[in-house]
Order: sequence, then structure tokens, then C-alpha cells
Amino acid sequence: MSYYDVDAILTDAQKVPCTFEIDVPGLGYLDGNPGGTVKAGTKLDLPLWLGVMLAVSSGNNSGSQPLVTLDFPAPLQQRVINALKADPNSVDLRAQAPHFYALGARILDLFEDDEMVDVLTDTFRTRAAKIADHAHNARGPLTDGVDFLRGLDESERVVFKSAHEGPKSVKNWSQDVKKTNT
Amino acid sequence: MAFPHRPGLLPAEVAFLCEMELVTIIPRQRLDRLDLLGGPTNALIPPQRATLPLWLALLLKRQRRINVLPPPWLDPENLREILELETTHFGESFTPAPALPALDVDPLQARREKSRSGLTSGVGGVVAPRLTDAEGRSLYLSPPFVASCTADAAPNALPYHYLEFSQLLLDAAPDDLQQPDTISNLLRDIREVRQAKMRRGYEAITDGSEGVNLDGVGAMEVSESRGFITDVMGGLRMIGASREAARREREQEERESGARRGAGRAYDGDEEDEDMS
Repeated sequence: MSYYDVDAILTDAQKVPCTFEIDVPGLGYLDGNPGGTVKAGTKLDLPLWLGVMLAVSSGNNSGSQPLVTLDFPAPLQQRVINALKADPNSVDLRAQAPHFYALGARILDLFEDDEMVDVLTDTFRTRAAKIADHAHNARGPLTDGVDFLRGLDESERVVFKSAHEGPKSVKNWSQDVKKTNT
Repeated sequence: MAFPHRPGLLPAEVAFLCEMELVTIIPRQRLDRLDLLGGPTNALIPPQRATLPLWLALLLKRQRRINVLPPPWLDPENLREILELETTHFGESFTPAPALPALDVDPLQARREKSRSGLTSGVGGVVAPRLTDAEGRSLYLSPPFVASCTADAAPNALPYHYLEFSQLLLDAAPDDLQQPDTISNLLRDIREVRQAKMRRGYEAITDGSEGVNLDGVGAMEVSESRGFITDVMGGLRMIGASREAARREREQEERESGARRGAGRAYDGDEEDEDMS
């Protein structure tokens, strides 16, 4: 992921639940309490980039406990994973998180969870096949499957677009050939 | 701004490459030798056949100076046979591309294969003398240097550029083809059958680790499906990146612990490891 990749930036901006392990004076504005102290044990939704920084850093003295502990964000909690296991096609991933897979990949960097890798991979595979069907559908994607297509996450939209563009550009080319000859 | 197109060739670029294919023509007017970058063309003397690159042939055809002699596979009968092959004999894979002339095929093996698949010559059949380059190493040609669109091409195999070639020829020289309408219908059928196979290939890349056999796929078909396939592979790789990193780390650790154990016995082993990394 490039530094200027908008999708990467938006992925990092998604909120993850964090639990503070120690009291932090002056950070109360995060909790709607400007100037106050964040008490140990407070749960806050922090952007991924901030949460990760706080979770992996341990203050000045190494070996002490981290500032916060991360939890799985709502889109990756067991409820969603179970729904994906049951039927990947019926879940509205976009409602869970616009960058669902990117978020999953970031979280899986931090937590090792083989089962989640399997579920996400299977979900992506199953949905990619369905996306290809919709993209090649001559009647256009608007007649049926609107709900499915609306529920695509950002990377699936890219897949949809490229699956749609390929045949379209070949068709355009063959029409151009015909035009130049008449 | 970066290059605005995704990796891979656009259809127009594929067609441009296709125009390098050689075609057989029958000139209607005399034309002297032309010194082209790709080498001089033969002088065109009316009733004699000659081979020209497709772009030049199309140009001269538009000026009504030549007639194109279509390759044997662009003939209704042979296309029907190809369609038959595509639907019945190769239900899962694509029909193989014409045999490469330089392939060093063992004649016995070729005959055995032929008898097994029950095909006539052409598909994996004709054994040509082995080609060598200037230094005597064996040389393998690939399109567009294989004359797969001339009058003596294999009649029952679709070459790499079949889709673009037939499209260009159907548009520029329909009067030189037998029953151009039938041909274009048959081509459409073939294309649909192959698209359905590609669609099944999508399922294969998405449902397991087996991979897709894309032997015999044409240039335009690659251009068409490339975006989707690479995006899906990219997505799967992104999701599996953490597992991949963990596996790498584990392997690295194993290698290091192995190297440490080996270091007691021989020091060289360690050095080799460093070279490899």
C-alpha cells in the first residue's frame, strides 16, 4: 500500500475499540471530557492508526505494559464472521465497513487468527465469482442483485469494475474497427 | 500523473500486435520490393502468391491492389470443426493452439498422442525440423513469428491472435472470405463457448488452489480477463498477507536454527545462506 493511497488512508481511519490500561492525564478530550484524565479501563473507539500506535508502544520504559489494548472492531467480531460462514453472499459488507477486507488484513497483521483468514478468504472467493457473473450480465447490474452490489466493499468494487471493463473495451474495439471500415 | 492504464495490453494494442502476423495474398498489381524494418517484402507479381504483414495487406486491400487468401482455419467448414472440438473434445480446457513449428516433438510420442485423442494433423501433429539460432542453440518461435495466419497454417487450431485477426479480416476483406456471415456467426459461437470456459476458470481460481489452465487462450481473451483475474488474486493475497508473513517468519526461524546447528559442523553452510538471502 502506497503512502498516498486514499484507500489505505481511509482504512487507517476506521475506528477500533481500545481499552486504556493506565491513566493518561490530559487525554480526556478523546472521551468528551476536555482537560480531564482518561482513567485506566476506559473503553474508547480510536482510529486504527492511533490505536495501533498506542497498543504497540509501551511508553518510555520498555517492558512495561502497553498504553491500550486493542479489541476486534465491530465488522470483524464473531457475529459477522458467523454470518459470513453461513452465507458470504447475503452479508452487506459495505454496511460493516467500506474497506472491510483492508481492515481485516490490517487487524490480522496484529492478531494471529487462522480461522478468520480462512473465513475472509472464502468470502472473497465466493463473492468474486458472483461479482463476475453480475459484471458480465448483459442486462446490466441494475435489474437484479442490486442489494448484493450495493453491499460490496471498496476492493470488491474495484474487482467489479475490472470484470466489467474487460469485455466492454473489447466490444468497443470491435465496434471501432467496424466504424473505420465503413 | 502516472500512466493512466492498468498493466496489460488494451484491445487496440493487442490488435496492433496482431497486425504483425503474416498473411498470404494474391496481388492484382505489380509492386516492387519494399524495405521494411522487419525485412524486405517480396516483390509482388500478379498471379504469384506472397506473404505480407497483415497491416500492409489490409492497406493494399483497401486500395484494391491485392486479394487476401484467408488462412485455412478461417473457413466455415474448419470453424465448424473447431467449434465441435471446443464443445465436445475439450469440454473443460481451451482447444490447444496450433503446434509450434520449432517444438522438438518426439515423433513417436506425437503419433501416440494423436491416436489417443483421435485428432487429425495440425493439433499437436506436424513435426517440423528443429530450428536453431545463429549460435546453434535450439530456438522456439512464438506469435507473431509463427506463420499461423498464412494459407498453410494448421486448419483446425485457433492461433493466438484468432479473434483480432478474424475481426480485422472480416471487416476489411469480407469479399475474399467464403460466406463471411457464416464465419462471423461461427466465430461468435466459438467465442461464447470459450467465454463460458473462462467463466468456469474464474470459479476455479476462486474455489481452490488448483489454478486455471489457460493454454490456448487468445491474446484478446487475455486482455479481456486480465483485470479481473489480477484483482482477485491481489485481493486474496492481501487477505492472506498476514498468514504468509507468519509462514515466512517461521521458515526463516527454521532455517536459522538449522544453520546454527550446521554451523558447529561446517562453517561454509552459514556463508551460503547469506548469499541466498
